[in-house]
Amino acid sequence: MMSIELALRNVRKNLREYTVYFLTLTFGVCVFYSFNAIESQQAIMGASASNGRVFKEFTQIIGIVSVFVSIILGLLILYANRFLIRRRKKEFGVYLTLGMNRGQISRILIGETVLVGLFSLAAGLALGVSLSQGMAVLTAKLMKVPVERLQFVFSAQSLIKTVVYFGVVFGLLLVFNAFMISRQKLIDLLYADRRSEWFKTPKLAQSVVVFVISLVCLGWAYGTVLTGGTAKVLDSASLRYVILAGVVGTFLFFFSLSGFLLKVFQQTKSVYLKGLNAFVLRQLSSKINTAYVSITMVCLMLFVSICTLCAGLGLSTSISQELRRGTPFDATFSTAARSNQAEGSYSGVDLPAALAQIGLPLGSVASQSLVVRYYEAGLTVPLMVRENGFEQRHEAKTYLLKLSDYNAVLRLMGQAPIALSPGHYAINYAVANAAMKRATQEYVDSRPTIAVNGVTLSAGPDTFHDNVMEVLQNQDYKMTLVVPDHLVTGLAPARDALHLNYLDPKDRSESLVQQAHPLLRAELKVDVSLWTRQEVEAFGNSTSVLVAYVAIYLGIVFLIASAAVLAIGQLSEMSDSLSRYGALRKIGVEDKMLNRSIFAQVLVYFGLPMALAAVHSVIGVAIAEQVVSAFDKGSVLGSSLFTAAVLLIVYGGYFLATYQGGKAMLRRQYAQSRRGVD
Amino acid sequence: MTSQQMPEGAVPPVILEVQDVVKLYGGKGNLTKALNGISFAVAAGEFVGIMGASGSGKTTLLNCISTIDTATSGRILIGGSDITSMKQSDLSRFRRESLGFIFQDFNLLDTLTGYENIALALTILRRSPREIDRRVKAVAAVLGISQVLKKFPYQMSGGQRQRVASARAIVTEPTLVLADEPTGALDSKSAKELLENFQSLVRQRAATILMVTHDAFSASHCDRILFIRDGQLFHQVVRGGSSRKSFFDQIMQVISLLGGDANDVD
Ligand SMILES: Nc1ncnc2c1ncn2[C@@H]1O[C@H](COP(=O)(O)OP(=O)(O)OP(=O)(O)O)[C@@H](O)[C@H]1O
Ligand SMILES: [Mg+2]
Repeated sequence: MMSIELALRNVRKNLREYTVYFLTLTFGVCVFYSFNAIESQQAIMGASASNGRVFKEFTQIIGIVSVFVSIILGLLILYANRFLIRRRKKEFGVYLTLGMNRGQISRILIGETVLVGLFSLAAGLALGVSLSQGMAVLTAKLMKVPVERLQFVFSAQSLIKTVVYFGVVFGLLLVFNAFMISRQKLIDLLYADRRSEWFKTPKLAQSVVVFVISLVCLGWAYGTVLTGGTAKVLDSASLRYVILAGVVGTFLFFFSLSGFLLKVFQQTKSVYLKGLNAFVLRQLSSKINTAYVSITMVCLMLFVSICTLCAGLGLSTSISQELRRGTPFDATFSTAARSNQAEGSYSGVDLPAALAQIGLPLGSVASQSLVVRYYEAGLTVPLMVRENGFEQRHEAKTYLLKLSDYNAVLRLMGQAPIALSPGHYAINYAVANAAMKRATQEYVDSRPTIAVNGVTLSAGPDTFHDNVMEVLQNQDYKMTLVVPDHLVTGLAPARDALHLNYLDPKDRSESLVQQAHPLLRAELKVDVSLWTRQEVEAFGNSTSVLVAYVAIYLGIVFLIASAAVLAIGQLSEMSDSLSRYGALRKIGVEDKMLNRSIFAQVLVYFGLPMALAAVHSVIGVAIAEQVVSAFDKGSVLGSSLFTAAVLLIVYGGYFLATYQGGKAMLRRQYAQSRRGVD
Repeated sequence: MTSQQMPEGAVPPVILEVQDVVKLYGGKGNLTKALNGISFAVAAGEFVGIMGASGSGKTTLLNCISTIDTATSGRILIGGSDITSMKQSDLSRFRRESLGFIFQDFNLLDTLTGYENIALALTILRRSPREIDRRVKAVAAVLGISQVLKKFPYQMSGGQRQRVASARAIVTEPTLVLADEPTGALDSKSAKELLENFQSLVRQRAATILMVTHDAFSASHCDRILFIRDGQLFHQVVRGGSSRKSFFDQIMQVISLLGGDANDVD
């Protein structure tokens, strides 16, 4: 219990050192809880069936991502902890010489860890629960669902999960710390703050050579992407070399940077011998010189973070737009053989009649309606799909559609009908995937002939269309061969579709149609599916919100991790350098000047990895644009702005906290050095 | 006890005046009177030594004069202006421009080379690179540390570090140099060289030096020795026209007296 008291006192004494650690833990817990508690947000929304399903998926995906996130946060906590321990080694050495045993020291450390852990867990959960309230309203707004009742949103499940995950991390931390203490020799503990030959500057020639190599690596990677075009990079196997060159180049860049910069500035005497510049440059170079591994990691993490945010948000917008493509009408009923029925058994149904049969004549819900029949001709079209460096043959199943039906659909969609010259066919394939689309175009360009019902048809000049011709959520559009009307006679029907545009009020029509669906399924002995515009749009909105949330979740965690690594590194460096600032003050350097030198150091230290990461990201986002086939160009700007705002808040926040923390350390040291009685 | 005894026939102006300075350390429970109403004056161009037992308040006195620390009460006048009532930024400027300080524990920056350490005193005065280079090299030649300018402090011997610290203190040609045991880590030969440097600094550049020392040999290079006990001026010896040898004997005499009953002297 004496240990507990000592632990409490220690935490209070070292509060400043713990601040960034504590903040990071709290943020981590808060973000972890909020995103895992997403399912509970449903409470404030109308529980429509499709939303329920989306929230289930949400929770599952966030759950998987959270495992990954907890590993990142766990590693981050270990890293921060290592710095705290390093700072305290000497103190522990003194305890040991005072006759305390290692068990007691371990207990002090356990006490401190548990204390800080409990505090930050509590604070993070409190923050997370309050954040969830606002997030729930935002989610509802983004999903375009009405907020039905404002009520307290709380997820016990997420709370337990957060406590368990972070409990495990802290458990590991305790074991790690106890192990560290038990292994250390007393002499190492006592002289932990003795630094030896850390300030050896690397040879200039060596720095320059490595620096040039790093620029070559990065230049090659950028050049390959930019000149070859991202599509080519993705299609060939060189992507992994580009990534490798990027990582190696980044590492070598930071590895050689300090020596290189220092030499360059040392040559420029008018800069080097001005004010505290020599001191600041030496500080930075010794810092970068010893921390290039973590700076490289931070740079790559920032890169991932920026790309995740940018691309994820872009993807999210394009998803909802893509899904909206799938709503040319208010609703589509479609019938086909049930999966357990034999293939040839479907003989077609009269959907308007069946609806009238169950008490819903078309006139009571639809202002416009259209019946379309697809025919089976046993046709497949071979497509050569090239994607991510692989080439694959894909047999696209094709149904037949009469030209008059096709034109009726086009007219209903408000588009001009097409004309087919005799002996020609047209293909309609609404596929969104760029590679599939390219393959289809290539197929059509090769002008193949197709035999239908014994007649050979050829491709005309304007053969390939990609109209979405029905309301469908999963975007599993089938290829359709449009042929002259007379060619389908005698062919077996494959499926029937009934497209509807509702009578006002649309909500009433929607609910009548939804009610009719199960009745129709019971009435007809075939598979009946129904998709409505409202369903697809709700799904689209919520899916895009899901994607955006996962991107923000990951992006912010990476951002917190990288900013915290920098902040902890810089603050620990700062506290190691306090005696140097003391010496500077004694020879007459003003506080203003000292503060400016701290600012310069923090700025360079935070700015360097961010600058390189930003340059990387321009390329990264370009690649992401290619991966996400239907990436919307306009949305890139929006998501870039959002990303910039998030960066500014999180990264800028850590930057300021580090600068203020450094200044506070300086002030405290000053006050300590002259705590006389006045 | 606190009366001022100026050297006979002193014409040069008083550059430093310490008036009844008190410095208290600690809280209510354990109060330490590091300085207990000390008063003296130093004329421009004087080389003054300060001696006293460990813990008698020598470093504290220098810290108060150098404005690194503030006196609890009393006045300290340098060049006529009262530094105890100066603003923080004026104090920093004063330290930069008019003071050179050689610390008991060197206070060199371990991340900077010898050259950069010395240059620092000039760079914060915003001198031109050419002037900085010239002055650093000149002072290094005088103190015999030209070979260690490229080295970092951890690569230097204790004596070299001490001389680099001294070089940093005098490179700006300050009006007042405060030195806290600058010869502590030097062998007798380098100690002698450093002291002779100080003497020439006093003679040629009319600098004023206040040097704390434990060692009578070092003290014998001074013009005057102030003896401090329990935070008060206890005695002082003036060299006058006597030789270094006889001044040394005089100092040894006081030291032996200091070891005995203090009331016998005075
Ligand atoms: N920061 C401080 N806090 C509390 N007491 C202090 C502080 N600095 C000095 N003292 C006390 O003030 C007294 C004078 O200390 P000072 O360092 O001036 O001695 P000194 O004469 O320089 O000794 P030495 O010859 O050992 O360097 C001592 O008793 C010391 O314990
Ligand atoms: Mg001392």
